[in-house]
Amino acid sequence: MSTIVLETSSASIRRDFWRGVWRVMKRKPSRMVGVVILLAFAFMGIFGPLFYPEHLPRDVSNTYGPMTWAHPFGTDGQGKDVFAQVVTGSRYVLLSALVTAVITVVLGAAIGLFSGFKRGRWDTVLMRLTDMKLTIPGLPLLLVLTTVWQFGSAVEMGLVLGLLGWGSVARAVRAQTLSLRERGFIEAARGLGLSTTHIVGKELLPSMAPYIAMNMLIAVTGAVYAQVGLFFLGVLPYEADNWGVMLNLAVFGGGAMTTPSALPYLLAPLLAILLLTLGIVLVVDAMDEIFNPRLREE
Amino acid sequence: MTVVVRKLAGHLARGLVMIFVVASISFFIIRNIPGDPMLAAYEKFVASGMDPAAATQQVKVIYGFQPEGSVWSQYLDYLAGLATLDLGQTVLNPGVAVTTDLFEAAKWTVIPVLTGTLLSFLVGVTMGVYAAIKRSGKLGDILNISGSLLHGVPQYVMALLLAAIFATTLQVLPLDGVADILVEPGFNGPYIASLAQHATLPVLTYCLASYGGWTLAMKSSVVTVLGDDFILAAELRGMKRSIVFRYIARNAILPLFTILALSLGLLFAGAVFIEKIFNYPGLGLKLIDAVTNRDYSLMGGAFLLITVAIVVANIFADLLYTVIDPRVRAGKEGA
Amino acid sequence: MKRLAAVVALLGIAAVSACSSTDSSSKPAASAGGGSPAVYTTIDVNKPGIDVNGPANPWAPKGNSFVGFNSMKLAWTKNHLTDANAFYPGIAESWEIAPDGSSITIKLQPNNKWSDGKPVTAEDVKLSLAIAYTQGSTAFALQPGAAGAAAEVTVVDEKTIKVSQDMSNPSATFARGVLDWAVIPAHMWQGVLPADIWDKIKAARGTGPEAEAVRTEITELGKKVIAFNPGKDVSAGPYVLERVNPGAALLKKNPTFYNAANVGPDAVQLLNYTGNEQVWNYLITGKLDSSGFVAVPADTMAKIKGAPGNVVVKGYSPVAVGLAFNQSKKPYDNVHVRKGLAYLINREEVQKIASPEGGMPALTTTGIHQTAAKEWLGAELDTLEKYNTDLAKAEEEFKAAGLTKKDGKWHLADGKPWKLSMHAPAGFSDWLAAQENIKSQLIDAGIDAEIVTAADFPLYQTEMAEGKYDTGFWLIALGPAPYNIFQRLYGSANGWVNVAGKVTHNAPGKNGNWMGSPEQIEVEGLGKVNPGELTAKLNSVTAEEQKPLMAQLAKVANQDLPVIQMWDYVNTQFQNHSRFTGFPGDDHDLLRQPPGVWIQLGMVKKKA
Repeated sequence: MSTIVLETSSASIRRDFWRGVWRVMKRKPSRMVGVVILLAFAFMGIFGPLFYPEHLPRDVSNTYGPMTWAHPFGTDGQGKDVFAQVVTGSRYVLLSALVTAVITVVLGAAIGLFSGFKRGRWDTVLMRLTDMKLTIPGLPLLLVLTTVWQFGSAVEMGLVLGLLGWGSVARAVRAQTLSLRERGFIEAARGLGLSTTHIVGKELLPSMAPYIAMNMLIAVTGAVYAQVGLFFLGVLPYEADNWGVMLNLAVFGGGAMTTPSALPYLLAPLLAILLLTLGIVLVVDAMDEIFNPRLREE
Repeated sequence: MTVVVRKLAGHLARGLVMIFVVASISFFIIRNIPGDPMLAAYEKFVASGMDPAAATQQVKVIYGFQPEGSVWSQYLDYLAGLATLDLGQTVLNPGVAVTTDLFEAAKWTVIPVLTGTLLSFLVGVTMGVYAAIKRSGKLGDILNISGSLLHGVPQYVMALLLAAIFATTLQVLPLDGVADILVEPGFNGPYIASLAQHATLPVLTYCLASYGGWTLAMKSSVVTVLGDDFILAAELRGMKRSIVFRYIARNAILPLFTILALSLGLLFAGAVFIEKIFNYPGLGLKLIDAVTNRDYSLMGGAFLLITVAIVVANIFADLLYTVIDPRVRAGKEGA
Repeated sequence: MKRLAAVVALLGIAAVSACSSTDSSSKPAASAGGGSPAVYTTIDVNKPGIDVNGPANPWAPKGNSFVGFNSMKLAWTKNHLTDANAFYPGIAESWEIAPDGSSITIKLQPNNKWSDGKPVTAEDVKLSLAIAYTQGSTAFALQPGAAGAAAEVTVVDEKTIKVSQDMSNPSATFARGVLDWAVIPAHMWQGVLPADIWDKIKAARGTGPEAEAVRTEITELGKKVIAFNPGKDVSAGPYVLERVNPGAALLKKNPTFYNAANVGPDAVQLLNYTGNEQVWNYLITGKLDSSGFVAVPADTMAKIKGAPGNVVVKGYSPVAVGLAFNQSKKPYDNVHVRKGLAYLINREEVQKIASPEGGMPALTTTGIHQTAAKEWLGAELDTLEKYNTDLAKAEEEFKAAGLTKKDGKWHLADGKPWKLSMHAPAGFSDWLAAQENIKSQLIDAGIDAEIVTAADFPLYQTEMAEGKYDTGFWLIALGPAPYNIFQRLYGSANGWVNVAGKVTHNAPGKNGNWMGSPEQIEVEGLGKVNPGELTAKLNSVTAEEQKPLMAQLAKVANQDLPVIQMWDYVNTQFQNHSRFTGFPGDDHDLLRQPPGVWIQLGMVKKKA
């Protein structure tokens, strides 16, 4: 998001921007925590798998083992370390979530902005397309698609989820654009002879940034849930260290909802999801203020 | 009022075209699902002790209810059926019309999801306004973070946790369908109590899982509106707080109605996880059943029902928008 | 905001009225009578999903006709280890099989009445047997020359019916084919089949295009039969359907049932479930009086056992699972590779991980469940190769197949690294756990391995039949009929097709032959044998002649290894003894029948 804004800014504004960012971050330490969490997840996704052998060692005499120092989240039904699986499994989840988020937000915001800004025939065509996209039911469609695609790679997964998910962002952004139009400052800017790039980049995007940022949050978390959920339902190909497969095996194989011994196996991927969400939430909270200058002053 | 009527007519026409297009797309997607259900059904029969020859014949009879002919002739049949609302017969339950089967299941999806959505919308929107107004205070932070976290917990996780607490551990709420079969059905206290008791967990899950989303969306929308000039002007003029609050709420809630309408439309499709975990026999389970058995007519019917629901919800949302937003009502809208 | 509130309130009213309309659509029910009735709670493992729209029709896949409760068969098979013709009485009180197997004479229960008061007669049975032709049945088959087909159905008197076998291609399991069939009331089912149905059946059993046309017509009638809705349930069983909701079916006692005086529970409720974890919940809360086999993880099992009154009962279940090979793919065409894998994989470990409570590790590969194998093979079972885990022998076999080990990793004869792909359908958690364990074992031994899942079972079966998989899990030993057992190894999936007792062989990759064994197999001590023909013979010879054939086929399977038998399932069931008594115990042959059969035979009683 920030890059779009930065491209249209001069160097001094850029300095001010980063100073503003720092001030916003400093005001609430929780925001720093959010950044740290996200950095940790990024590190985990990029480098985490390197710390473990390709095939994790198993121990058949210690299945669904308790939490110990050697196994901080116990072991799974094969006697493999659960924590290691969360780490090695993060790459798929994070990469596909990132791909989804980028596609959703870029496609959704671009179509929404363009449609709301141009209005007229383009708006009609794009919104019909969006409506159709929104009308095709997502989860049922995914259920059907799983029989056709294998979703072996994270990018493929992210691509499909992203292409399925931009509709609501586009609609929301268009509604916001129209609403801003109604307030007349676009006409005013036009009247002043400002270029379209300027109006979109300097006037429209900043005032919509929190909205888009929130949608980005929803897109990332939504992508994580959608794919983890599909794996959890057991309709996607099996990969032992995928978070969703872990949930599935813990609940349907280990009986984690009925007995405590498989509970750590269930909790580990759940905690990872919650932590990731918390990180995103805190960072978006900060973004909210950075992009809405009026809020900063309060 | 003529504006509304004119809009409605346009919406209906476009809605019908949309239904036709989406129904056609889903028809061809459904027909192209790989996997022969007859082989799987045969395996199941043989594994339950049936003779191979008998199983072969039995499978042939059951899947005799699958639509026949080339894909194109099936498509024409399907369209002809659409016009008369005849969606064919199910394979899962041979001889039963797809419409009968779907409406039975839809009933059990609509009631809990609708209740859950509306409850969570009301609570979430109210909390969202507070979260925005008090965003620099403790209350705002708590509302914001708790909303985000609740929004962060996927439905299925929430469902699993609630099932483990209330059904398995405390054993106060049931996980076995829609009502106790031993209670005589009818408009009587025990039966309604039983219905309510069985619906509690699904509704609660839905509320908890979507409340956070509404709070976040409302907060964000209110924050945007707060920056508007007319609010500043109102504040400068020293208007009463309650009036300012109404201004804010009315303007901020508009974008949320599109989301609410969409989620109401999606309520037919969105409860797969809840139904699976709570053993609640709605459309989501029916759809999974239809996919795993390659019941083409039933799948087609379910997709159609979901599509129609979404289209209708969209029209409803737009009309609602017209009624609420005076700017759009004036006929200045862009769409 | 006010208008918004009004809209929301309106929607609320809509929700409430939707609720009340569901109330009024449900059927009104008669009151259950004085005192607190003893309700027996269970699940139907063959019909996990209860469907409100299901008719009271035993052949409807979602019908609300539950075997043993309100759906009666002529007799209840014991699924005896070696004798497929052993039964408990049902609609039939007794039966007499002619010494040469040419006919069976069935005497009906003299005092049995349908729940509407009409007596159960031989005409009801005759119509049910006509329906058998439309649905597919071994004894009532339309294919000309099918083994063990009935030739004539004769009503002897009101309570006696005789079925004779077509002796041109007789089957040892003819009696089972006749008796294992549901009976419906003819007075409710009139008009489902045309009046001249028996003429049609006769015509269909001929040859030529006319016969073919009639066969198609009868299959079409089959659709009419499974879609038929008799309106209300008229049952000759211990119970009759009272009402259904999407979560359960309620059945109340049928006073006209012949043994009603000895039927213990006053009512039965069958609960709906969509996954095993729901059954675990029912069991942990002590809700079910009995439950059929569901896979249960070890710790959940402990918790189930801990609930008051719960008892775990184990019996025989004629099902085993094996890792099956596609011999069209290298290196699995080489018997030494298959043998090497058999020596390598520790089956005890696999079973312990995958099915700790519902299985026992396969003794060796015979194609027969070990409990039945002991009966069929006797001492010969011990002479077969055990394939106990032995890494040295595994290496020897791999070397004999021309494989080489470089840097601790096995390579194929052409020098490429060997990667073993195992396939299973997604959601089959015990199979996946097993494959995950096998994968780890193989990797430890230097064989790269992977697991690839198919999205669901239809896709799995289709891709398997198309020969897309190298190896995959496959159910075997599906008895008790010996022919059915070896159909799994040397039947159509392996190229042998049996039409009217004539066996033909399809080339690997053609017509569903994905296993691709050679047609003739050289077996030590037997010479060259054609296992498909041996299997076909099992269908027609007498029980005495079956034993040596079973021994030969077990030996072929043991040496040829078209599959590696992994574990044999154990029929682990659950009972709760706090409300009722008289349940069948460990290894009881009735464990293979639903609880309705235990109840109707007068075993289950209310606890005093």
